[in-house]
Amino acid sequence: MNNIKYNYHSWRSEKARISVRFNKPFVIFLIGLMLILLASGLYCLTIGLSVSWFLIGLSFVPAMAIEWYNGELHHMLPTRNPSSIDDVLSADLLGRLSKKPNPLEIAELVGLVSGGHFMATRFGIGNGFLKELSSNNVDDMEEVWQEAWQIYKDTESRNMSAAVLILALIKTSKNGEKLLSHLQLDTSDLVNGIKWHNHLRYLIDQSRINRINGGIARDWSFGWTPLLDKFGQNISKRLKKYDATLDHLASHEEVVEQISEIFNNDSRQNVALVGQSGVGKTQIIHAFASYLLNGSIAKSKTRYNQVFILDASTLIATAPGRGEIEQLLPKIINEAYKAKNIILCLDNAELFFEDGTGSVDVSNILLPIVEDGRMRIIFTFEEQKFLQISQKAPVLTSNLNRIAVASSSRDQTIAVMQDQAVTLEYQNHVTIMYQALTECYRLGERYIFDVGMPGKALRLLEAATHYSDNGLVSANSVRQAIEKTIGVKIGVANSQEEKDMLLNLEDLIHKRMINQSRAVKVISDALRRARTGVRNQNRPIGTFLFLGPTGVGKTELSKALAEVYFGDIKNLIRLDMNEYSGDDDGRRLIADGSKNANSLTARVMKRPFSVVLLDEIEKASDNVLNTLLQMLDEGVLRDENNREVSFRDAIIIATSNAGADRIREYIDRGYDLEQFEEKLNSELIESGQFRVEFLNRFDEIVMFRPLNKKELIMVVDLILSGINKTLELQKISVELDENAKQYLVDVGYDPKLGARPMRRIIQRAVENLVAEQMLKDSVVSGTVMRVSLSQVKRMLDAHDHADKLASSNH
Amino acid sequence: MFLVGMISWWYQKGLINRATMIISRIRSTLDLFSVNLLLNTLFSPYKQIAAEHIDGSLEDKMRSFFDRLVSRLIGAVVRLFMITAGLIVVLLQTIFGVVVLVGWLILPLVPLLGLVLWIIDWMPR
Repeated sequence: MNNIKYNYHSWRSEKARISVRFNKPFVIFLIGLMLILLASGLYCLTIGLSVSWFLIGLSFVPAMAIEWYNGELHHMLPTRNPSSIDDVLSADLLGRLSKKPNPLEIAELVGLVSGGHFMATRFGIGNGFLKELSSNNVDDMEEVWQEAWQIYKDTESRNMSAAVLILALIKTSKNGEKLLSHLQLDTSDLVNGIKWHNHLRYLIDQSRINRINGGIARDWSFGWTPLLDKFGQNISKRLKKYDATLDHLASHEEVVEQISEIFNNDSRQNVALVGQSGVGKTQIIHAFASYLLNGSIAKSKTRYNQVFILDASTLIATAPGRGEIEQLLPKIINEAYKAKNIILCLDNAELFFEDGTGSVDVSNILLPIVEDGRMRIIFTFEEQKFLQISQKAPVLTSNLNRIAVASSSRDQTIAVMQDQAVTLEYQNHVTIMYQALTECYRLGERYIFDVGMPGKALRLLEAATHYSDNGLVSANSVRQAIEKTIGVKIGVANSQEEKDMLLNLEDLIHKRMINQSRAVKVISDALRRARTGVRNQNRPIGTFLFLGPTGVGKTELSKALAEVYFGDIKNLIRLDMNEYSGDDDGRRLIADGSKNANSLTARVMKRPFSVVLLDEIEKASDNVLNTLLQMLDEGVLRDENNREVSFRDAIIIATSNAGADRIREYIDRGYDLEQFEEKLNSELIESGQFRVEFLNRFDEIVMFRPLNKKELIMVVDLILSGINKTLELQKISVELDENAKQYLVDVGYDPKLGARPMRRIIQRAVENLVAEQMLKDSVVSGTVMRVSLSQVKRMLDAHDHADKLASSNH
Repeated sequence: MFLVGMISWWYQKGLINRATMIISRIRSTLDLFSVNLLLNTLFSPYKQIAAEHIDGSLEDKMRSFFDRLVSRLIGAVVRLFMITAGLIVVLLQTIFGVVVLVGWLILPLVPLLGLVLWIIDWMPR
């Protein structure tokens, strides 16, 4: 490896230099020259000059040169047993290299050729980036060549393309990987990029090859299939010819081989593909149909066989009566069997084994056929459904050759997306970046449920094409697609508006609630960590236990957060845990959404970006608390169908009145919250109200202190501003005299109930007064109603009097 | 350099590529007319018409046998017709291919030949 050199004077280098001269103007010049020589020769011939022979003969030279370019120079292959850089370097680069190139020269050159364009578009690695990390020292080239040679070998590339050289430049540069990380990439991503580039070139090469597909008389020995043509879809006909993009996935290739083996030996001629939806079962059927059309690889017994998909809904639509389907289906199967070249495919085969909307139970027809084992059939089943059918009809499933189709790995998923990208780019007029593919995998894994890989990543990629920026689909487009479709904030805070909001979150929350500064601060800090990407992604945004007496703002803070940050009060998922005090109540928390739309898992699946409020957590049973442990710790909870539900974009807040009396006691004795927090936690554990492992799961345990009278005046102001907001429609506003406010606080203050009675008191004193004045027409639109102490007193006295009368009557 | 490179390619890889291309086209034509498949299934019933075996009286069996025989004969005639058409096209293609190859071999000599004719001042009478 240390002997790898670049030879400027090699035969291949010389030819490469000629090849780069063959640009469009030069080819036009050659064609022009050929025509001129030919025309002059013919003219000379007509006037009897013997020089015409030479001119005509000479006109063949430009034609030969063009033929040479097309036949060899345009796509110069590497030398057979390469031993130097010039033996393998792509001709477009080799032809442009100077005698003694340096890394900077390479950085400039790669921008001119296709491999460089590919890396610039797909990865955002342009000339500027490469120049920044490349030196102009000729001696540094030695290391670049060695690295490039190693990458060329490792990636099994056909030649040393610009993509290979780009990675070599980055790897040999001191700051290369650091600069690469700015693009959210590492060198393994670029290795994938080289493979992607190679694969695209392979697909182009494959499309040029004429394939053996049987010709016009291929099906003459096989029967007619009028019924199948009517009720089924001939996917072999739709494919028309062998499609190389379909056999790209290695795991699928294996399954296709397995299906082919089964159909070419003497075992039962059926296959059941079982796997989660989205893992590519239908894609495998297409790949298999395509494989059968390739005469040079398909095995003899099934070569040129055609795959027909039978669709349950089409059959039901055409033959709605039970008897009709039972008559039609045997006819179709019989026709397929007699034709001798048909492989039937029952996609979503569970629809043929159960009665329901869009499904029909024809197991009595299919069972004997499956048992007989001569008719070639492929079934595809969703894995859960397959288990159900196995329970219902064990004979049927035991006669099927089951092949499990698993979700694809990260690399496989990205490879599938790379193939699909070609089609999506063509359909949507966009260019898809590599970072978009990796982001699709990451976010698909996290936010899309009930679908396997690569299905979920592909679904996301398709959605992301609608959020392209100037035709470029980047990681940001994928994040936007997720944010718009499921309402989760994925990326870090970018807009100035959001940055300002995060920086001033405390002030915004305090517009809705009074004091409790420490609680507001810990919550705000958690959100700032989340939106700058600092937090642990495998846990909820934050988990908090709010402790304190009633009416001090624990629930209010959760509501304020849902409204201020999560955008809508609807993003508060509130559970009264006193409803979960029984040992069996844990099941209701994780119930399937189709059975109980109010279960915790169902609500979080619908709104993953939310505040989950577990009110009065101390009242929940131990079983329920145990269920919640995983949610607090890892940010996931499995529902009753064993589906993973993510809480990683939620803030989880549990509230409790436990220890309220002690808090009040400490405050009354003049302690600050910080001074007794730890002591109180220990007391709670010792008293058995909470277990240590439960308390330890929270990021913070936050004490709420009782509100004093001064703070209650501020609460009155808050409630009043709420009333004014309601009255905005009538263009009326209400103002309270200071002594009236003080009176309300004096009347409403109850150290045990905090601010809770205040709303009721204000309703009696102010809202009732406003309503009365409006009915008397004393207040009209556009006026400010000033409420005095005497008015407040009158209203409250009247109310008390009414209460007394009511109680005496009883 | 330019001429040496071009001529050496012309008589080495260029020639092989050209011959491979001609053979590949002939193969494609054989596949287009399904010659290989048709020869393998020359006496198979055409489109599986009347291809079923019948369990019944001797008369029924005989009738079924003759039906199949007729179907096979029709199949063979249709197939032979197609095979013949395919082979004629392949023959024409082969002749054309040979001409192209010969032309390929002599093309680089044409300028030289022209030069000689000019020097000897040859013109047809």
